[in-house]
Order: sequence, then C-alpha cells, then structure tokens
Amino acid sequence: MSELTHPLHRFIRPTVPHSTFCPGCGDGIVAQSILRAIDELGMDLDDFVFVSGIGCAAWIPSPLFNADVLHTTHGRPIAFAFGIKAGLPNKKVMVVSGDGDLVAIGGNHLIQNARRNADLTVLCINNGIYGMTGGQAAPTTPMGVRTTTTPYGTFENPFEDISAMVIAAGASFVARWTTAHPRELTRSIKKAIQRKGFSFIEVLSQCPVQFGRKAGLSGAVQMIEDYKKRSLLAREAGKLGPEERKGRIVVGELVEMDKPEMFEEVQKMKARAEGGVS
Amino acid sequence: MQIRIYPERCKGVEECGLCLHVCKKQVFKPSEGLNLRGYRPPEIENEKACTACENCMIFCPDFALVVAGKKGKRGGPA
Amino acid sequence: MNEKRVQSGRYFMMGNVACAEGAIAAGCEFAAGYPITPATEIANTLAERLPKVGGAFFQMEDEISSIAAVIGASWAGKKAMTATSGPGISLMLENIGFAIGVETPCVIVNVQRGAPSTGMPTIGIQGDMVQAKHGSHGDYEIIALCPSSPQEMFDHTVLAFNYAEKYRTPVFILSDAFVGHMREEVTIPEADRIERIYRKIPAPGTDPLEIKGFLDEDVAPMPIFGQGFKAHVTSSCHDEVGKRNLIDISALDKFIRKLSNKILKHRDEITLVEKDYEGAEVVLVSYGAVARAARAAALRAREEGFPVGTLRLITPWPFPSAEIERMARTAKHVIVLENNLGQMYPYIKAEAAPFSQVSFLPPRWVGEIHDPEHILTKIREVLR
Repeated sequence: MSELTHPLHRFIRPTVPHSTFCPGCGDGIVAQSILRAIDELGMDLDDFVFVSGIGCAAWIPSPLFNADVLHTTHGRPIAFAFGIKAGLPNKKVMVVSGDGDLVAIGGNHLIQNARRNADLTVLCINNGIYGMTGGQAAPTTPMGVRTTTTPYGTFENPFEDISAMVIAAGASFVARWTTAHPRELTRSIKKAIQRKGFSFIEVLSQCPVQFGRKAGLSGAVQMIEDYKKRSLLAREAGKLGPEERKGRIVVGELVEMDKPEMFEEVQKMKARAEGGVS
Repeated sequence: MQIRIYPERCKGVEECGLCLHVCKKQVFKPSEGLNLRGYRPPEIENEKACTACENCMIFCPDFALVVAGKKGKRGGPA
Repeated sequence: MNEKRVQSGRYFMMGNVACAEGAIAAGCEFAAGYPITPATEIANTLAERLPKVGGAFFQMEDEISSIAAVIGASWAGKKAMTATSGPGISLMLENIGFAIGVETPCVIVNVQRGAPSTGMPTIGIQGDMVQAKHGSHGDYEIIALCPSSPQEMFDHTVLAFNYAEKYRTPVFILSDAFVGHMREEVTIPEADRIERIYRKIPAPGTDPLEIKGFLDEDVAPMPIFGQGFKAHVTSSCHDEVGKRNLIDISALDKFIRKLSNKILKHRDEITLVEKDYEGAEVVLVSYGAVARAARAAALRAREEGFPVGTLRLITPWPFPSAEIERMARTAKHVIVLENNLGQMYPYIKAEAAPFSQVSFLPPRWVGEIHDPEHILTKIREVLR
C-alpha cells in the first residue's frame, strides 16, 4: 500500500529537513498557507522569486522554499524586490518578512512602493516583537510589555494599524489575517498573486517564545485562541464604535481597487521614448 | 491510511500542541516516546473519528501532518 | 542622439555624460539612483537614453534602495549600475557589502565631492578612496578605476562592467567633480570594437542540486533568477551551494578568504597602471584628476633637466603592490600626489619605503588639483 505524502513537501528545499522556527511559531502556519496558495493555483515555485529581509519571518522562504530566494539586508527586501521585478517582469515577486523588518527599519520602502503601486506581493508577518535577537520591543509591541530593551515596560505608543498606513500610502490591495485564519489567508494570497499592483497582506502570527512568555501568555494554543477571539471581520467592524473596537483585530480584505500599476506605466514610458515623444 | 504523522518533523505536543487543540474529534493523543530531537509527537488514538477536516494539517507549523482530503484531491497516495 | 546603444563618433562631451554613454555601450539595462551633485548628469543621461535601448532608469527613494534595486536587477540577469557621490556611498555601504558577499556584478560610480559630510558639492576631492576598500564592515577586496578625463569616463565605465561581470563583484568608478563636470574630446568607437563580457551562468536545465554558485576563486557560475536554478542567495556566511552556516568557524574563514582570493588571485590581470618612469630618480605617483597635474609637472621638470617620472594608478584597488614595488626599486624619491590628506599614501609608503624615500604632497588647499609649479617646488626640494 503506498503511503500518504504531504502535498507541500515537494516545495521544500531537499537539503532542509526541518524548519528552524520555534515550537508553535505561527510562521510555519504562514509558510504552509503560502505554499498551499501556490499549489491551489496550479503554479510552480519557478514562477516566483521570493525575497526576505532579516528576522524570523524572513526564514519562511529562506531556506525552506525550493525556489529562487534572495535573503537581503535588514529592512530592504522590498527595494531588492523592485529591481528583481524590473529585470524579470514575467515572474511573480513575493516579499515575506516581519513587522520589524518591513515597517520599522524598512518603513520607507514599504510606503514608497505602496505609493508606486509596484507589482509586488508583500506579506508582513506581524508578531509584535523582535524575536530573532531575543525579544526586544518592536513598533508593534503593546505599551507596558517588559522586553530585554524595555525592562521596565515599553513606553512608546505602538502602531495603531499598519494596514491603514499602507492603504493611505496607495496600495491597491490590502488584507489582514491572523494565523487563526490560515484558509482565509491562503485565499487572499491567491488573489494577491494573481492581480497586478502592490498587494499587501498583514498576518498576525504568534511568537510564543519571545513575545508570549514576556506578555504572560502560555503558548501557541492560547495565543491562537486569543487571535480568534479578538478578530472581527471588517464588515462587522464598521458597525461598532471606537470603544467596542478597542483591542479587536480587524481582519479581511480591507481594500481592493484598480489603479495604474508602476511597471505597466514604465512600459508606456518606454514606448514614448522609442517613439521620440517626450 | 487517512492520516500520516511525520514524527521527526514535529516539535512536540507540549511546546506546540496545535494539532491536538484544533482537532474537534480527539483523534490524537501525546505519544509515549520522544523523537530524535527530544520532542514528543502526537500519535493517532481514534482514527475512525477523523472527518478529514484537515485542521491538523493546516495548523501544523512544521508540515508534520497530512490528511487524505474529503474528495481525495489533496494528500493522495505517493 | 538616436536609438543606438553605441553612439560612435567624436564629441566634445562632459565626463558624466561620457560615463553614462560608456554604461550604455557596455550593455547596461538597469540603472537606479538618487539625485546628488555632482553626479546627477549621469542619472539624467541614463534616464533619457536607456528607455530608447530597452532599459530604464529608476529614481528611487534613497541611495539605499538604489543599490538594493541594482543588486536585485543584477540577480534578475541584467547589467546594472548606480551613480552617486560620497554621501550616497556612505548610505550604500551595507548593501555594497551584501553585493560582495553574494558575488553580484554591478557598477557603482562615485563622483567624489568636498567632504566630510555635506561638504562642498561642486568641488572635487579624492576623499573616498579608502572608503571604497574599507567602507563596508569586514575584510573584502574590491575593484576600483580612476578616470582622469571624460574619455576615460567612457572607457573605464565599459571596463568596469566587464570586470564586474567577469569577477562577479561590484566595481567602483572613483571619479570626482572636476572629471565629472569637465568637457573634453571623447571618441566613442564603433560597436564592434567594444568588448562586452557577460557573467558565466550554469547551463540551462542543470539540476539545481548540482549547482555550486558561490565561493570559487576562479569565479563560480552565477545562478541568476528566473532560470529554474532555485538559487538560495544569502549574505549570511554560506558554502559553495549557498547553504547558510552560522556555526562552524572553518566555514567563516573559507567565506572570507574565498571572496577575497577571487580578486587577489587575478590581481595581475586586473591591475592597470600608466608608467613613465624609465631612468627617473623622482617618481610622481597619482591617480584621477591629479594625474593631469603630475604629468604636466613631470614634463616641465624634465625640461629643466630633472630626472622625473610618473606612475599613474588606474586601478587603485586591488592595491597594485607589485607595481609600486617595481617602481620603488628603481627610484630614489617617490612623491605621492593626492587631493586629500593622504588616503592611498600610507599603502604606497608601506610598499615603497623599503626601497625609496617616500613623501606626500597635497595641493595648497585640499579641493584643488595641484598647480604643477607647486609640484615642481617639491621636486626641487627632494632633489636638493
């Protein structure tokens, strides 16, 4: 009798027997959600180039995915991805990186490329902490949490809403999910891959070891249950007032629109240049 | 075989435990022994109760569980 | 200017424009940059000319994303470049280190200006010479070219692309505001007279597990993206197949040495100097714009009967130690001329001092090309 095999194992680099994520880390759930999306679309990993920065989430494609992967300097994967897309317009270029990488040190590249509506898919895996370096406060860490660099509790206001900032910058597709919503996440990733324009998906992902323990949470199971309980679909959120929305996570596809995509505009520009029209 | 566990990929029911939690039918229980890296994988206790909802497969962060799909589309024989 | 890449002909051309024309002639398809005096004319020319030949220039949000996009485009298989000045290089250094670590061909033009910091944008100095070699963290080798004229801005940019592709490394053009902004005769040859090298890549269809795309002292084939090579490209310490190793010190030692040896092993093929010191007792060592003054001073000195020669460093990096030693053995006095407080000087002195007296002469004010009379005064002094 032939044995059942995991349908996504064929996408894993043969020289990588395990992921390096901590036990219970949400990043593994995200990794599966991405590969499941690619599988369901009937696409091949060679249709993609993956780009990631520095941090735990950056280890989702690197080295796990058996594909072209560029593991860049901290905060810069979107900028590198820009160049890759310019050189390989027919490939899908996907950035997978963390909240610290994309929104803190890399914030400006996120904002500018959302503004450009450059044809990239960007997954921002938000775990509320700098996990890889041992648990330091991130711009997404709630007020009062004790981390290694905020031993008396954080004193900064964290980001209210990263997705809102990306929407305001001009991205044409923005969604937010958590690791409690892997099927919905896969659906949004499929959409993002197939459309043109800057497609941004923020994914709240549990970090039980570096964040959970500091915030007094007891593990992956509790953190995912907490995401599930606090999540609120966008269309429901609209019916609630600001006090009722406090502490809730608004999930769903928040924005989807048509607007000029940058690399298509570049093609038009080239046509103008070749035609002698300035 | 409806469910397959890859025990060497698993990072343990104590440290992770998501599969046991997301299964609505109590199909799994912690195994007696540890894997080579010292984690305690799950083992199947009640396979007949499985409805192939695929929750365990989808929520496992380590690609360590596969369930034969309802329509046999995914996770078919090797 | 029309749609041809190679604009063969004789021109009276600005150095920066000649640099852009050199890039286009060499096959550059992607350029990204940020406006900065005195380099902006390179961006302007590329922005106008590249789209006519199938490429494009992108003005990025800063210099950091400029070099990042260049590296990305290079991994997508395109010949890519950026142009900036000192402040921009300072921002780019982390990613330049990245390019070196993962062995990425690209050309980086630094039109040096008054420094440090904001300094004096329209005045040329040679203040970023050591930065090119040591600006990014860690031990590494780099290739750099110093044009002395608009003609060389064209010629050296073509050469820079060829070196970059051949050795899979970033290559610097270390120009300055004077050479960048001066206009002089530039001859652009016929297209078939221009050598164009493209990086070696694995044969199409090669099994990804068989590809060793990194850390070969004779330059590994580059497993560019989009060809099914499934390259894992990381500037973490890695092995020949790109697998990260953060544990074994032997792997780190290999990573450091292989990357440096890739350049050092081929130093003799890379090094370019211009020598005119046969029978000279005093040799003027210089590079870039200052070499024009050195040459004028040497000619005048010889007219007065002084045995003076010149050694011009066209490639200050990798450091041409053999050429310096060879010269120093025949000379009594070496005078190093730089438009700075002595950046190449300590390296030249270390190499030449066992064989010769070595001294350094800046211009009267850093920021001007030496007055040949000023150099002659020094020559008379050392010969006294």
